[in-house]
Order: sequence, then structure tokens, then C-alpha cells
Amino acid sequence: MKIVLDRARCEGHGLCEEAAPDLMHLDDDGELVIDREEITEAELAAANAAVRVCPVAALRIE
Amino acid sequence: MSAAAIRRIVVVGNGIAGLTAADSLRGAGFDGELTIIGDERHPACSRPALSKALLSDCADLTSHQLPAPTHGALEIAGRRACGLDAERRRVALDDGTELPYDRLVVATGSRARRLSDLAGELTLRGLDDALALRERLAARPSVVVVGGGPLGMEVASGCVAARCQVTVVSQGMPLEMQLGPHLARVFAEAAQGRGVALVQTESARLEEHGGATRVVLEEDIVLEAELVVSAVGDVPNTEWLAGTSLVTDGVVRVDARGLARPDVAAVGDLAVFPTPYGMRRIPLWSTAIAHSKVAAAALVHGEAAPPLQFQPYFWTEQFGLSLKAVGFLPLNGPPVYVDGGPGGPALMRWTHEDGRGAAAALNYRIPIPRLRRITEDAATGARRAA
Repeated sequence: MKIVLDRARCEGHGLCEEAAPDLMHLDDDGELVIDREEITEAELAAANAAVRVCPVAALRIE
Repeated sequence: MSAAAIRRIVVVGNGIAGLTAADSLRGAGFDGELTIIGDERHPACSRPALSKALLSDCADLTSHQLPAPTHGALEIAGRRACGLDAERRRVALDDGTELPYDRLVVATGSRARRLSDLAGELTLRGLDDALALRERLAARPSVVVVGGGPLGMEVASGCVAARCQVTVVSQGMPLEMQLGPHLARVFAEAAQGRGVALVQTESARLEEHGGATRVVLEEDIVLEAELVVSAVGDVPNTEWLAGTSLVTDGVVRVDARGLARPDVAAVGDLAVFPTPYGMRRIPLWSTAIAHSKVAAAALVHGEAAPPLQFQPYFWTEQFGLSLKAVGFLPLNGPPVYVDGGPGGPALMRWTHEDGRGAAAALNYRIPIPRLRRITEDAATGARRAA
């Protein structure tokens, strides 16, 4: 499974980072960086939480 | 009852508060039977996007979509909770069934407050509202928006994007009550710069006249338009809790962990919780998320769970301006500019009278954790100055 970011949509609210700090972070310019694209079963819950809190649906899991 | 003995948890409400609570209950180790009751026809969606991307972004109809849930809960959709027996621990549904629980999450949110029962009064709360409004705007009607809060102004901005003639009717300057005078002025100028007429009034009511809905202001001044949208606040959906001790004045009061009683959490728009400025309701997307996480942990772990360490996070997009703010609003007095200058792009901070900081980024891209740190810098700076 993989976290996919639609960069054009991301507005840098950072709620995803709060939900899954091990998987992604905002850099100093406010751009979201996915630190771990490929995720394990164990990380899925955190990844899903991150995807859900994004208010502009910029993240998804494939 | 120990955590292991919690077998059934019922979440009433499937908005972001209910869904986050369900996720977080699993995260807190609850592996029993989880049931979510939701009365919306559509799956949960991002409400902030409804008044922003969905109204303004003509091509894209997916910005509000949330992913499919993964909490493994039984979802009962299209049913409404209509009663609660908190002593017997049972939720009554509108089809006559009763759901027993060991722990309950109350997350039924709120609905748009209305000024009238007239069909001509549109409000914006759910996806259907947004789609209906979007469709009406396509015909480029003249619009009066009643309400100068963030939602009213975002709607007005969406109307401008659809090339409609827009009037905003507001008590005082739009956004002043929510954001404070400095930022309100920036937004009012941007709105006026794009042709929005701002009308300040003490009172407004709606009436039907000649088959159309119109707005009557104080001293019988009448505003006519082809479309009337009201955005005058929200009403917590707590009627189903009537007769329980959970509701006072239409809201549910909770402690610092989001609990109304040890076996009942209340999260999201209907909850009043302790803040440094007293008991408050802060009906924001980010509040619902922060709140639900804390309350879910508290339901499972009780007082061993940490209380809410909360700083509101708010954002709005309208009239070409993008604002992100961390801290308690409104912000009084002029800002200290950390970077940039008046009108933006700007990074600003304020210090409240009690020394707490707040920060806002206007057309300025910044990670929210950094914006949070600036609020802390403001607070430390104030202490040093004192």
C-alpha cells in the first residue's frame, strides 16, 4: 500500500502530519513531504487517519 | 469497569468528529464491537471544502471527499438517534430499536441556524446544500448573503467567483467578531475591491414578497435579490438528548478530556469544553479532530488518558486571501509583523492580555507547527517584557 499526494491540492494545513508524524511532515516552506510512501499494515491506521483529516482530500491510499 | 471489559461502544454521528473518534478508539486499543450511527444520505465529507473549494473551484467536485472508513465499525446509515437512556446505557433509534453500549460518543454536530422557514432561504451546511447553491450560482443571480462571519464571507467569495452581484449583510464589520478588527479590515477591503457591497445592520429578517424572498433590515430598509443565503451560525443537534442530564442550554458540557460523564464522551460542534477563557464551544474542523482523539482515549483509559492541550486552528480562503490562524480568536489590536507587512503576504503575531500568544499567516505559506511555535514565542516574549 502506498500514500499518494495530490500536490496541487495540498494547502499545507498539516493536520495529516499531526495524525501520522512518522509518515509525513511539512517542510520549512510549508510543503508536505511524504517520508514513507510505501506503508506496512501496521502503519495503515495512522495513514488512514492522516488521509481522513485532510480537509481538501489531497491524500489517498492506493 | 476495566478497559478490557468495555465490549460495546456506540458513536452517534458520522461527521469528522464521529469518524475520528472511531479511528482513535481503535488506536487506543479498543477491539470490541463498534457501531456508528449516521443520518446523512452521503458519506461523511469535508465541510470546510464545501464553502471553499466546492463553491469556487468550478471543475472539481471531489475536494470534499473523505476516504472510506477503516475502523471496522458497523455503520448504521440513514438512521437517527432519537433518545438516550444514560442510566440503562441505551440509545434509541428512530426505527424503534435500541442499541446498548458500555461507552457512548455523542457526535451529532450542529445544523445551520435559519432566519425563517421560507423555502427561499438557502443555507450551507451539507453537501446537498453546497451542490444546490453551486447550481443556482451558475445562472449568475444577484445574491444577498445574510451573515458576515467566515462562512458568509466564503459564500460571498464563491458568488463573486461565479460572477454574481453580491451584498453581504452583517452585524458590524464582517469578520470583526471572529477575527478582530485588524484582520477584519483586510478582508472587508478585499471583498469590496472585488465588488461586494457590505451593509451593516443591527437586525435582519426575511420575508416573502411577490413570490421572492427579500431581506428586511432595521428601519424597514429592504434588500431584494434573486438569491438569499443566510449564514448566521449553527444550532447543536442535541434534541435527541432531551430529558437526560447531559444537555444544558442546548449544548453538552464536557471536562478537559471530552467526557460528559465517565461513560459518555461528547465531541465536535455540540460540545462546550474548558478553555483558558472559560467554557466554550469552538465549532471548527480542527477542534472536532483534536477533541475526538482525546475523548476516545479517555473513554478507554479514563483519567490515565491525557487531557486536551488545545490551541484552536482556523483557516479561511476568500477574495484571493488565504488566512491560517493559531490561537484563541479574536485578535485585538495591531499585529507584530514577524515577516511581511500590512495586506500580506504577512506572518503576524499577537499577545492576549493574559500573555497567551496567537499567530496568523496571510497569503503566507508556513507549516502549521511553525505557526504554533510563533504563538509560543509571542507568549514568552510577553512574559519577558513583563
